[in-house]
Amino acid sequence: MTMSPIIGMGAVAATGSGVDELFENLCRGRSGRAELRGFDRTRFRAQHAYEVDNRPVPGQDVPGRATELLLDAVGQAAADAGLGEDLSGIPVLVGTGLRELRSLELWWRDGSPFADSGLHFGTGLRERFNADVTHTFSNACSASLYALALGSDLLHQESEDAPDTVIVAGVDVLTESMYGLLERVHPQPPDRVRPFDRNRTGVLMGDGAAAIVLRRTERDAPQVHGRLRGVAVNCDAYHVTAPSPEGIAEAMRSAHRMAGVKPSDVDLVMLHGTGTLLNDEAEATALADVLGDSASGPLMTAVKSMTGHTSGASGLINLIVGVRALNEGRVPPTVGLDDPVEEAAPFRFVTGEAAAGSGRLNVAQLNAFGFGGINAVAIVEGSR
Amino acid sequence: MSTDTTVVVSGAAVLLPGADTVRALAEGPAAGGAPVEPAEHVGRKGLRYKDRATQLGYCLTASALRDAGLLGDDGLTCAPESVGVVASSNFGNLDTVARALDTLREETVSGTSPMDLPNASSNVIASSAAIRYGLRGPNLMVCNGQTSGLDAVHWAATIIAAGRTDRVLVLGVEPDNDVVRRLLGGARAVDGGAALVLESRPAAEQRSATVRAVLGPYRRSAGEPGPDRGRRWELPAHLGHASGAHGVLQCAAAVGWFDAGERGPVHAVAGAAADDARADLLLMAPEAA
Repeated sequence: MTMSPIIGMGAVAATGSGVDELFENLCRGRSGRAELRGFDRTRFRAQHAYEVDNRPVPGQDVPGRATELLLDAVGQAAADAGLGEDLSGIPVLVGTGLRELRSLELWWRDGSPFADSGLHFGTGLRERFNADVTHTFSNACSASLYALALGSDLLHQESEDAPDTVIVAGVDVLTESMYGLLERVHPQPPDRVRPFDRNRTGVLMGDGAAAIVLRRTERDAPQVHGRLRGVAVNCDAYHVTAPSPEGIAEAMRSAHRMAGVKPSDVDLVMLHGTGTLLNDEAEATALADVLGDSASGPLMTAVKSMTGHTSGASGLINLIVGVRALNEGRVPPTVGLDDPVEEAAPFRFVTGEAAAGSGRLNVAQLNAFGFGGINAVAIVEGSR
Repeated sequence: MSTDTTVVVSGAAVLLPGADTVRALAEGPAAGGAPVEPAEHVGRKGLRYKDRATQLGYCLTASALRDAGLLGDDGLTCAPESVGVVASSNFGNLDTVARALDTLREETVSGTSPMDLPNASSNVIASSAAIRYGLRGPNLMVCNGQTSGLDAVHWAATIIAAGRTDRVLVLGVEPDNDVVRRLLGGARAVDGGAALVLESRPAAEQRSATVRAVLGPYRRSAGEPGPDRGRRWELPAHLGHASGAHGVLQCAAAVGWFDAGERGPVHAVAGAAADDARADLLLMAPEAA
């Protein structure tokens, strides 16, 4: 097992900007849900999403918002870790579902300027931070935890030029095409994200970005928020959109093995919990199977009930909220979860108000699963 | 304990107008080649509803796995978990995104096709190759601009060296269509690509695979480029923009040269001063393994 200290964190989502505000609002059960802010609502049956309210003129969309949110989160994390604004030579690994495809859409239909160099995030990261070891991974909804796995591999290479610091980030904003096509496959238009509830109607997208700074060792670290114990990644090789409980369970078991934890060691599970009709059952089935007798042990929550589905950012948002929850002993609730699906019956969900754990919370499991059956599961511990 | 983290190339494939072998690629594809017809390579079954980049990816995947001796008539000849996928493409699903958006704007959401949903996710090339050929290792889509293809090779080598998987299929593919041409100011994209099978040296030795090339150091940087450290392969201008496929094509050309007896190193370069960075990768002839 390799242990990587997390020495900087940054995040922005519909529910708040900055890790403090985001975490406090999530603990208060505040949702970022609102009517669509940047699209022509007459084109859609669904009318709501979880967007960051940062457009210069309300109702008018502008290009470059994904890059803007990413730079915000990376800037926060770098400052938190004391790295400053010059990130040249430091690997910056960005996981995203949709890259800058929203800017492509605004170019294609509305004539805003765009070039192929604006599809990935290296250009924006170079301009703002002079970063040149930048990598954009388009790995659907598990992208930022996939990026985390690669960042961890990079830090622990047996090579002389292995870096001692890596920044891992995730970002996504709504695109019209993905918002529309996601809505299209639901029998009735989704109204809000209600993970694991029997009466949920489906998934709605959210804007968000998150970033962390990982180190190889704790030497000279200004602070340690938590430690990454391991990340497992795999692929179901089963279906382009439907998940496979077997593939998900294998990723969880593999993460436990890499991190050296048993199911009974897990104190908190930050669920993927998208509220999508098929996914929640698949996640619950896999998790119940892997945890076995310990299925009722850990606290569980799904913050997409308040942030919406932030896709490529969601894995790292889960990590940051999870680390904070371990350190503060408070876990944000799953808003709108009234009647859990049968597959999730054994689980100890946090609902209503933020739960203050009865004992110490040491170890959190983070889940992220994406289209194409790409699964990523991480294990972190707090610093308390 | 010291472990052998050397990564070798044990299979390669190319599909471009004018070149369908690594040797033809290395020599330089002739102008006027016919467009790649995916059904001729993998049959019609399963191609419907798949975008052009995904179809090209299927062909390259099958061809490279066969070349590496990993795909027989009854499917994979190794454990599904032992094969990962790292794909590189910048333009892959732009046509699906633009078409779905046109429908939304001109009709409403009800006019869109649910079959477009998987293609709206940019990782569809990597995950579709895994689904069709049962590859259950790590599955990664790199969309990293001009350096993307060499970056994909680097990440494949990184996860192999980290022990996540024994071997990785690396795909580099770019489709040509109206959306891409408008984005490129009227220029065309290669409408094809290349694939490599990368493998840890011990894993390749264990199954007595033929080593075709050995990976050397990789670097991504905005700093001053150093001198050439080996033979360089140039993309013929008539093929158009190779973008995310460019780095993988250079590696496949290197395999073509090594197959033909070339023994000096090959220096692959992607990206330039005008881009966000440049990437360099060195490839060595098999005996370096």
